[in-house]
Amino acid sequence: MSSVSLRGVVKRYGSVTALDTVDLDVASGELVALLGPSGCGKTTLLRTVAGLERHDAGRVAIDDEDLSSVPTRSRPIGMVFQSYALFPNLTVRQNIAFPLEVRGRPAAEVRRRVDEMLDLCHLGIQADRYPNQISGGQAQRCALGRALAASPKVLLLDEPLSALDALVRVRLRDEIRRVQQQVRITTLYVTHDQAEAMAIADRVAVMNHGRIEQLDHPAAIYDDPSTPFSAAFVGSRNAVPVVVRDGEVRIGPARLPAPVGTAGTDRLVAYFRPEEVELSDDPEDLPVRVELVVFLGPVTRLHLDAELDGGPVRFHLDLPSRQAAAHPVGSLRRIRIDPSLVRLFPAATEVHP
Amino acid sequence: MATHETVTPDRMTPGPTRAGDLLPPARSAFGRLREIAGLWLPALPLILVIALLLLAPALSLVIGSFRDASGFSIDPWIRVITRRGDQAAILTSLALGATVATLCTLVGAPVAWVISRMLPGRRAAWLALFTVAGNFGGIGLGFAYYAILGTVGMLTLAIQGVGIDWVPPRPSSFGGLVIGYLYTNVPLFVLLTIPSMGALRDDWWEAAQVASATRAQFWRRVGLPVLAPFIAAGWLLIFTWSIGIYGLAYALAGGGAAMTTPLITLRIGDILATDFTETWRANVLSVILMAIAILSLLAYRVTLRRAVRWFR
Amino acid sequence: MSTAGRRILLGAIVVYLILPLVAVFLYSVATVWQSRILPDGYTLEHYVAVAVDPRVQGAVLRSLALAVLVTLIDIAIVVPAVFWARVRNPRIRPIIEVGAAIPFALPWVVIAFGIDRLVGEWAPSWQTTFPVLVLAQSAIAFPFFYWAVDGAMAATGIARLTEAAETCGARPIQILRRIVLPIIRTGVATGTVLVFAVSFGEFALARILVGSSYDTLPLWQAQALLRTDDQLNELAVTTVLSFLVLFALAAWLVARGRSSGASLAAGAQVGTPTEAPR
Repeated sequence: MSSVSLRGVVKRYGSVTALDTVDLDVASGELVALLGPSGCGKTTLLRTVAGLERHDAGRVAIDDEDLSSVPTRSRPIGMVFQSYALFPNLTVRQNIAFPLEVRGRPAAEVRRRVDEMLDLCHLGIQADRYPNQISGGQAQRCALGRALAASPKVLLLDEPLSALDALVRVRLRDEIRRVQQQVRITTLYVTHDQAEAMAIADRVAVMNHGRIEQLDHPAAIYDDPSTPFSAAFVGSRNAVPVVVRDGEVRIGPARLPAPVGTAGTDRLVAYFRPEEVELSDDPEDLPVRVELVVFLGPVTRLHLDAELDGGPVRFHLDLPSRQAAAHPVGSLRRIRIDPSLVRLFPAATEVHP
Repeated sequence: MATHETVTPDRMTPGPTRAGDLLPPARSAFGRLREIAGLWLPALPLILVIALLLLAPALSLVIGSFRDASGFSIDPWIRVITRRGDQAAILTSLALGATVATLCTLVGAPVAWVISRMLPGRRAAWLALFTVAGNFGGIGLGFAYYAILGTVGMLTLAIQGVGIDWVPPRPSSFGGLVIGYLYTNVPLFVLLTIPSMGALRDDWWEAAQVASATRAQFWRRVGLPVLAPFIAAGWLLIFTWSIGIYGLAYALAGGGAAMTTPLITLRIGDILATDFTETWRANVLSVILMAIAILSLLAYRVTLRRAVRWFR
Repeated sequence: MSTAGRRILLGAIVVYLILPLVAVFLYSVATVWQSRILPDGYTLEHYVAVAVDPRVQGAVLRSLALAVLVTLIDIAIVVPAVFWARVRNPRIRPIIEVGAAIPFALPWVVIAFGIDRLVGEWAPSWQTTFPVLVLAQSAIAFPFFYWAVDGAMAATGIARLTEAAETCGARPIQILRRIVLPIIRTGVATGTVLVFAVSFGEFALARILVGSSYDTLPLWQAQALLRTDDQLNELAVTTVLSFLVLFALAAWLVARGRSSGASLAAGAQVGTPTEAPR
């Protein structure tokens, strides 16, 4: 069982800083998802752990052993590439055997271990096919088997599901999680899909501009984003511009104390989720007009126009689809928001992921 | 029937049908002609050129090689194959082609690999250089050989100038021909194989590193097996083209009359220019050259099919 | 490969590729070049001599006439055929492919001999005439044009665009003139330069088909090389000049677009994984 530790890791490409003093600890057997938009540095971070990129400053360690001067092929890692990078001239079996054979393991051990991996990844039938003769999902499992074959201490996954279609993706996501928990291997998992990260990870590191913005359990990140970027990137949220007045912020009748450090007339953005907006009959509440009704399956999202602080504002409200018929486009309603569910951040840092 | 056509003359779509016809339209001979013309007319000039100027001459040579004054005969073939001079020309051409192709591969494959991994800007500059060199051939290149490696050539004088008693290979010798041929063919080989070097994806090398492989292990287990068929295909093309070179050989061999190194192409050219009574011999030699080229091209296609099998 | 190894390899290649060009250029400006590494003196008189030599003038004009005619013919016959093969009748394509494979694989000496034989058999009065040379050269050079144009049409999805134009009511001629030609003009330019260059410098065809009855520049150069009446400097001048013209054309192409202008290699790149073998 092994842990990964990154301290003050910096990586620059010319004038671009890809990793800006990143600290990260992954506990033994833990799966941490690196989540962020493209260009946020998550893949660079993964490749730095793999040694495929050399960091400019800081320390990368596995089990407290500094790897900074250790070449990739001597690091105790296994990696699944976004493109899988299966060797086209080798069969599934030979691909999985590759890390064992280049290490000079005895033939009997190689055979036994490859059979284990084929079993673990459910690839028995495809064992003697070439990579171009198997499906995307099978190629993905083969890449996973190859990464795990030599029993590495740390497993690195670089967007392992992005090349697959939506249906296969969910199944394989759970498959990866099953395999990871079965072998109880410390894992770093790069993805840009927040639902994927939430579903698979023990903890999620939200990354932006080469930094880790927030590192926490999925539920905590979902419920309590600590930065506007986390708030905007994770889940779908209302982002409503508001103004501080008399030390507080009002959204209709809802009143929130202004955050520490804000002054009168400062512009802020209020983040809250569509399922946290409620319809109400109370004449005190904020009047809105239904502009658009979008059916999303289990829920239906209402786009609602209102006036707030003298300007037009759009709210999103989710309600169970069965109740949506009662609110056609053009109808006038009132809404309310529980102030405790609203997060306020300065307007200048508003983010559109 | 043709009278009911509602199709305007400038519409080239075939199959005039009248709206509302319940039965399949009965077509007149004229209608069918129009249909065929509509399908083929724009390509007709090119098809004629291909048929009359490329296919027919090749066929005519094949047929002609089996004829003598009395009609069908394999006599010309026997007389060519058993003659020592012709045998020598065939064997020398094959040996020259194989030597040139092998040297091109040994030099060109590493160069193509290195260039394929350059940044786009630098790669473009190299491609331009190879394009220029690959297009410099024929008589001009033959002349350059004399200017560099002739008895008073630049390099000859330079080497002799530092006190080494060195005589460069005569341009008409086997070695001289190889040097001359390499000049155009190395760039062609590089230009041919650079795109296929892209077949070897960088992340395979990364994956091999993650799997703990050394550079040598990677090349032996993955790199060379993937690239080998592409490189072999390049070898076959250079081989095919080399045995067919005429202008450069003519210049290097001094017109082919005083031949120290017999080549099929030079034999053919020489016979046609000087000796009308021997045309049948040139004819058989041409068909032999043709057969070698076709076999080589077929091998090229098979190799290439093998090369791309992992990528389909 | 190590960095040093790479440098040495590339450096050697550069010297090897540049040396002949340098030598020929020096020869074209040398007074006497007999005993030292560099010429004994420099002069431009060979350029003047070439400019006023009626034989060279004639040879250049004849090669130009040949190259221009061949280029025009290839444009006229290849573009409509390829267009039609892509949008209307796919059965045209295999015929063109077979046709393109012939000059690609067969030595041109052989093709020239075959054409000469055929003409001698069926139209003896046409033997060793200019029109036969033009037609033969057009046939041999057409694959260069075909690959360039076909590549351009494939890259722009010409079949789909033609369907779009047809739904707008355009006739085939209008489509060709207003949609297809403007879109494939890079391909046409590439093909034009390739065909022109190949035709301008082709030796085998001219020597076998017309011999000395139509002296093209390569034929004149061959004579200058083999005769001993000391026209080597002028040969150097014509080599430099024709090389410069072709180089300028290729550079123009590269500057205009992304084509590499690579001789035979243009059509024959050893198949990349994404494209099936021809």
